[in-house]
Amino acid sequence: MSTALLRTIQPNHFTLLGTALLRRTSRSNISVRCSGSQATTTTTHEAKQPSQSRVAPKNHGSNKLDEILRDYEAVIGIETHVQLSTFTKAFCSCPNNYGSEPNTSICPVCMGLPGALPVLNSKVVEFGVRLGLALNCGLSLSSKFDRKQYFYPDLPKGYQISQFDIPIASGGYVDVDIPLEFGGGHKRFGVTRVHMEEDAGKLLHSDTGDYSQVDLNRAGVPLLEIVSEPDMRSGIEAAEYAAEMQRIVRYLGVSNGNMQEGSLRCDVNVSIRPIGQAEFGTKVEIKNLNAFSAMSRAIDFEIKRQALLYNQGQEDQIVTETRLWEEGAQKSVSMRKKEGLADYRYFPEPDLPEVILTQDYVDSIRATLPELPEAKRRRYEAMGLGMQDVLFLANEASVADYFDAVIGEGAEVKLAANWLMSDIAAYLKNEELSINDVKLTPKELAALIAAIKDGTISGKIGKQILFELLAKGGTVQGMIKAKNLVQITDPAEIEKMVLKVIAENPKQLEQYRNGKTKLQGYFAGEVMKMSKGKANPPLLNKILVEKLNAKD
Amino acid sequence: MATRALLSVISASPRRIKIETSIFSSSSLSSSLQLQRYSRKAHRIARSFSSDTNPSVLQPPDVARLAETARISLTPAEIEECGTKLRQVTDWFGQLQQVDVNSVEPAIRAEMEGGNLREDAPETFENRESIRASIPSFDEAYLKVPKVLNKE
Repeated sequence: MSTALLRTIQPNHFTLLGTALLRRTSRSNISVRCSGSQATTTTTHEAKQPSQSRVAPKNHGSNKLDEILRDYEAVIGIETHVQLSTFTKAFCSCPNNYGSEPNTSICPVCMGLPGALPVLNSKVVEFGVRLGLALNCGLSLSSKFDRKQYFYPDLPKGYQISQFDIPIASGGYVDVDIPLEFGGGHKRFGVTRVHMEEDAGKLLHSDTGDYSQVDLNRAGVPLLEIVSEPDMRSGIEAAEYAAEMQRIVRYLGVSNGNMQEGSLRCDVNVSIRPIGQAEFGTKVEIKNLNAFSAMSRAIDFEIKRQALLYNQGQEDQIVTETRLWEEGAQKSVSMRKKEGLADYRYFPEPDLPEVILTQDYVDSIRATLPELPEAKRRRYEAMGLGMQDVLFLANEASVADYFDAVIGEGAEVKLAANWLMSDIAAYLKNEELSINDVKLTPKELAALIAAIKDGTISGKIGKQILFELLAKGGTVQGMIKAKNLVQITDPAEIEKMVLKVIAENPKQLEQYRNGKTKLQGYFAGEVMKMSKGKANPPLLNKILVEKLNAKD
Repeated sequence: MATRALLSVISASPRRIKIETSIFSSSSLSSSLQLQRYSRKAHRIARSFSSDTNPSVLQPPDVARLAETARISLTPAEIEECGTKLRQVTDWFGQLQQVDVNSVEPAIRAEMEGGNLREDAPETFENRESIRASIPSFDEAYLKVPKVLNKE
């Protein structure tokens, strides 16, 4: 039941998109888009539709392409830019506010005016260390900043302050659980490095006119760039990696991870090689991926594009280039071809000292790390929850905290998970609320679960009062008392109601006794109605059957 | 210091390479963005040379390429004039590079006191108007720039 509900309220995009690419002739799936924060929720859900699995593409008319694809292996690496939720920019005290009036959050430092000197924001270091530790990286106790030179109107200084050869963190990994319908399993992807840098301004290209617009509020906003090892092999794996990055930065509180606002931006590098070949093929970069679903589809599109070129003997047409994903058209187009490596002429930033971390500082930050998504998933799994429950609960820290609080109050684990995943999730979705907004405390949800379990109230009544508790708060005991909701478990009282209903429905009784036993449900419903939903269902049914079958 | 030496050389060169020493000496806010960008180029040129690892003989500077990476245009006469002056600088770096530093721990920069990080407390810069006044062209609240789609 809960699965069905979930599917209605939070459709699984990946299930849809997994097939979208392989069935591009039928375009019905393509309009599905996930949006930002919801995307994380949806990416992790399992929907029981194994027939739509990417690995089972038989009998739908693209067998030839599938055959071609079988001969190649894709190699995917991802660069993730995480915009930090600091109050100020990286090197000046300008407010870091998304959505301010354009060009108001500026000062001589972020505008690159003469004589202005950058001073590093301590939060940027702290967040870098937090993320580095969370990604199981080694930290450089001494790192430095470098200048990356390029000319572009969104870059007032003519260079970006970044970290080149000594990043603050390197050599880590991240663990993800691939949803069952995509083959399931636990995967580990390497993290090459995490480095601190500043963002450029925002460029807007008007469709009309021969000019572009620039907003420099974002220039100098702190970023952490996470570079992965080329460990991903499919669009799904890449999207799961990115979704895990989003979970981690949100758990850590270093970023809101919002893809729509550009707080989390992923550029992917895709190459393919014939299976068995050791060296990598030519890699192509794809940008403009602002949802996990888009990322997955764009990668699968690119894999197919390259496989077809290989297959047609045109692999020389796979060139080092940057392609832009066009969500509307569901395809990528070449943005620029790179001739060799761009010459950024890095050199050490002379205006900033080295970044020195002490072991004590690192240890103090390590001590404040929250339980991370992977640890939560393993803990929930060990409690005996299924992977669908595990992925749902661990997806958002606030939901996981709530769940932990409910079971901390003694609620049964599986029952607590069911309530959260079905009725409460549906309520949150409908009301556009987060779990933190609901008035139902974890303690009262535990009380509600207990009251149903010990038979004080029926499950049906429980559901009715749930919504009132969610919206208005209050206690389960108080509500049961005020509304006189205690379940009727007195056989004599139920028998009275059963006899009354039977007496009021002679026609149905006759039909029942002539073999139309399905009518038992009708009688049960009538009795339940008479009891205002309070009759204990097993007892009601037991007495009802006795009476219906009694010969008078 | 090396950069400053370079600057003094270049600031004597033709008008179109507008390099000022303002980056080091001036905190005047009235200087334009453009000026700043030119002065930053000095660093890059310095880098181009100092990154040349040939210890004894440095390659002569490819002025045409340097001008291209700095997004400035030079006439052939200017290239020649610049080339001579830049050559003096690279020769000087050549001398520096002949010093045997094998036993010296590499240092990126002079010792600076640690712990000079900034607290994450926002502060609005009061004189934003004078910054905005130096921006040549606005389209309502946005800076107006030539249409650009591709980097590099």
